[in-house]
Amino acid sequence: MIFFLRYFIVRTLHNMKGNLFPNLTTIGIMAVSMLIFSIFSLIAFNLTSFLKIWEDKIGVIAYLKRETPLREVEGVLKNIRQLEGVESVKYVSPFDAMAFMETRLGSQKNLLEGIQPTVLPPSLEIQLKKDYRNSIKIKEVISQAKQVPQIEEIQYGQEWVETFSALVHLMRHIQWVLGGLLLAAMIFIISNTLQLTVSTRREEIEIMHLVGASPAFIQIPFYIEGLIQGLLGAGGAILLLLLLYKSFSLYIPFSMREWVGGISILFLPPKTIAWILSGGMILGLFGSFVASMKFLKYSE
Amino acid sequence: MIQMTQVFKTYPTQIPALSDITLEISSGEFTFIAGPNGSGKTTLLRILFCAERPSRGEVIINGIHITQPRFKKIYQLRRMMGIVSQDFKLLRDRSVSDNIAFALEVTGHVRREAKRKVEEILRRVGLQEREGDSILSLSAGELQRVAIARALVNDPPLLLADEPTGDLDTQTTADVMQIFIDLHAKGTTVVFATHDMDLIQRYPYRVIHILNGRMVKDEMVDRVRAEA
Repeated sequence: MIFFLRYFIVRTLHNMKGNLFPNLTTIGIMAVSMLIFSIFSLIAFNLTSFLKIWEDKIGVIAYLKRETPLREVEGVLKNIRQLEGVESVKYVSPFDAMAFMETRLGSQKNLLEGIQPTVLPPSLEIQLKKDYRNSIKIKEVISQAKQVPQIEEIQYGQEWVETFSALVHLMRHIQWVLGGLLLAAMIFIISNTLQLTVSTRREEIEIMHLVGASPAFIQIPFYIEGLIQGLLGAGGAILLLLLLYKSFSLYIPFSMREWVGGISILFLPPKTIAWILSGGMILGLFGSFVASMKFLKYSE
Repeated sequence: MIQMTQVFKTYPTQIPALSDITLEISSGEFTFIAGPNGSGKTTLLRILFCAERPSRGEVIINGIHITQPRFKKIYQLRRMMGIVSQDFKLLRDRSVSDNIAFALEVTGHVRREAKRKVEEILRRVGLQEREGDSILSLSAGELQRVAIARALVNDPPLLLADEPTGDLDTQTTADVMQIFIDLHAKGTTVVFATHDMDLIQRYPYRVIHILNGRMVKDEMVDRVRAEA
């Protein structure tokens, strides 16, 4: 077994060395193709992460009717607290709201001069339990909250979350459609490179057939070659992606960091990297399998 | 050892390469397949080692029906036979011993065993002095002896030779023929295709004549000679 394994590996490396240029070309093309796929994976992964973080931060603001007497607020808070999915509720008076706006405006707070706090409606900041911080469950809580007569309007950034979810889904779809196209292209490329390898070793393969080498014995080195090409191609893609990610992280404009709310852009997790590497190897193997079916057939 | 029954081989848009070949070669027999170039000798041999499938007919080698559609283990059949061709089919970037060891490597022999077998076979074909030499440094006769050594190194019971002396001079032909005669003497079945009628006349073996793909005569040269 060890003898065969050593023989196969030595022969594979010998084959690859003997056909260095076609092999490097295949690995390079695979790396670029896998890089395109990995970039989309990285974007989709980060958008999903953002979505999760933002969903975690989702809060509901319920504006009370202006004429709501202060003595009824305690009752409203109690009603809201009793709703399923509500973690905590905080009353924000018009004065609190004005103070908050002044803080947010900072040096430009003079813009608020002359405006009375009473123009702002009193409101409730409702914090939801973790399981309820998604676009479906949040609607359940809101429909119950709307039953409270003192509540005039409820806002929770629904459109923003739903649009972003749609964007993430679109990215995921593009990722898989692109993946499918690249997959077909890579199988074609690997299959053709191995065809070159087979043609340069035609004499040796012919002799192997003549002296009774088993089909597996002839084909296995080509399968290993495909696996190595796939692994190196995918590995190269991950390295290039890491390089791009590092450069992007270093030079990302400050304004853009603000835009994403200070959330840092993540690199692909180890599990996804392992999937991409395995995917590359499987593609390589499949490409060599197609080539061997076509060119390493026993007999003639 | 070999049974061919009503074997036909036709290539598209060509005249039949073989027509209605029926023959039987016993174990341990030395048989010449004789005929001019293009008569169908090579096609017949290629059918025997499964490089070609006949268009029609049945071929049985050592009890294996090689023409049945479900027969797929061509490599197992080829391990039962040694194949020698006019163009040697040797690896030019390897040494004499590596070329012979190659046949053992691909059939799963370990290195030490392969080395012993290679040394032994090189002695049998008289090339023990050239073990480590490059294939490129050998003469045509030596190349053919290396090809024969590789065909024999797995001790096959059947040897198929397609014009193995085609490019050799008279003396080298005689040397190579002596190897085949020694093999036959040790019980190997030899099927030897050649167009060289002078060569055939020198040896007392069975001759099957093929012309335009048809078997025209099957004679035992020694018997014919005796009758003459």
